[in-house]
Amino acid sequence: MDILKSLDFATAFKDLYPELLRAMGTVLGATICGFILALVLGTLIALGRLSKLKWLNRLLVIFLEVIRGTPLLVQVVYMYYVVPLLVSLVVQFWSPGYQLNFNAFIAGTLALGVNYGAYLSEVIRSAITAIDRGQTEAALALGYTNKQAMWSIIIPQASRIALPTFGNYIIMMVKDTSLLAFITVSELLLRTQTYASQTFLTIESYTLLAIAYLILSLPMAQIVRLMERRLRRHV
Amino acid sequence: MSNAIIEVNQLRKSFGSNEILKGIDVEIRQGEKLVVIGPSGSGKSTFLRCLNFLEIPTSGTVKVHGDYFIKPGGKFDEKHVASLRTEVGMVFQRFNLFPTMTALENVMAAQIKIRKKSKEAARETAEKYLRKVGLADRMNHYPSQLSGGQQQRVAIARALAMEPKAMLFDEATSALDPELIGEVLNVIRELANEGMTMVLVTHEMKFAEEVGDRVIFMDGGVIVEEGPPKEFFHNPKHNRTREFLQKVEH
Repeated sequence: MDILKSLDFATAFKDLYPELLRAMGTVLGATICGFILALVLGTLIALGRLSKLKWLNRLLVIFLEVIRGTPLLVQVVYMYYVVPLLVSLVVQFWSPGYQLNFNAFIAGTLALGVNYGAYLSEVIRSAITAIDRGQTEAALALGYTNKQAMWSIIIPQASRIALPTFGNYIIMMVKDTSLLAFITVSELLLRTQTYASQTFLTIESYTLLAIAYLILSLPMAQIVRLMERRLRRHV
Repeated sequence: MSNAIIEVNQLRKSFGSNEILKGIDVEIRQGEKLVVIGPSGSGKSTFLRCLNFLEIPTSGTVKVHGDYFIKPGGKFDEKHVASLRTEVGMVFQRFNLFPTMTALENVMAAQIKIRKKSKEAARETAEKYLRKVGLADRMNHYPSQLSGGQQQRVAIARALAMEPKAMLFDEATSALDPELIGEVLNVIRELANEGMTMVLVTHEMKFAEEVGDRVIFMDGGVIVEEGPPKEFFHNPKHNRTREFLQKVEH
């Protein structure tokens, strides 16, 4: 009962909301950049897996297994602490003294993009293979090359099939940005933790945190649903 | 130079160890209407698909307007094959319209992307051919909003808009409800009367006899018999042709 009586959402909200607002910007930024990277990477991986080059296929499968077989949190930490060292080591062969530094936001966004790119590539690949072979043949018969047919006939159709799944992944990514707290990106979780430990307004802080995530993800779900309805009309 | 639009020389095609075409020689002359018939599995569709290299022959050559798809001893050059394909229009059994585009956009797309025409010029050509196939009032409909017969007519307009030297019809009416076949045959008949060179794989024997200049009967990957339609349909020379014609007529 004491706990309930001493709840002070007003103070917590007043103190936290400028911080949370700024942090929501970080989350949104990481999600947008990360997802664009994931889309580009996912499409390239999907096309590589659909190509006839056996070595490329095998290489990509290994990459996918590594990404799927390790936790995202480990990948985030790895991207921040290890990848810059590795890159620096390689580049130092050509230019001694080279030192690569990622800031935490860039490292985190890259890690999210690579991780989601791996998962999206499977979504994109199955959407592409779901398109009737007759579509490619019609394009080829009209004088398209295979590449032109893929980019201007097949991928636009496949993206409509993949869109609802993309929506789910965007919402998952919003939530996964919380992992960036581990590499000191001051996003929602980190800000809230700091505040909660200073003021002991634990219930208030973390409830506001959950609400902040809902504010980000609910409209996204809605937008995806609208786009889906629009795009799927003529598939 | 002969006036052959398509020349096929010793065409062979195998899928794995299964030889589908066993050495086909055909010349299709300017303005000729060649009808290809035969039982299913005879290789007639594969033959047609080799004429625009949708199937790449295992050996032999195909020339369109004097130009090889692959020169004897040469290599597969995708750009060349693609550009030669624009000279041969193809109409498929299952229409294969692009579902995300309207009828008009379907007919415009390749003109812009491949022929590099301006949007305005492409639209003008597209409208002309859609009117020709009787779809002036359906230009802004999506394929899903059109009947099978209408979709196939859009597909014909799409092929014609590239202004090809010949047209290939791969069982163009086989996927249609019986009451919709007539409207598509009418469009093909009109094209034939205008002098378009065409190769038709079809099961419509009456139509074949009416429109064709020459009929080829294929079975087991070879040409069993060929001749003018009157002779072919009413006085076939080979037993296999006779058997086949009896079966399809009853």
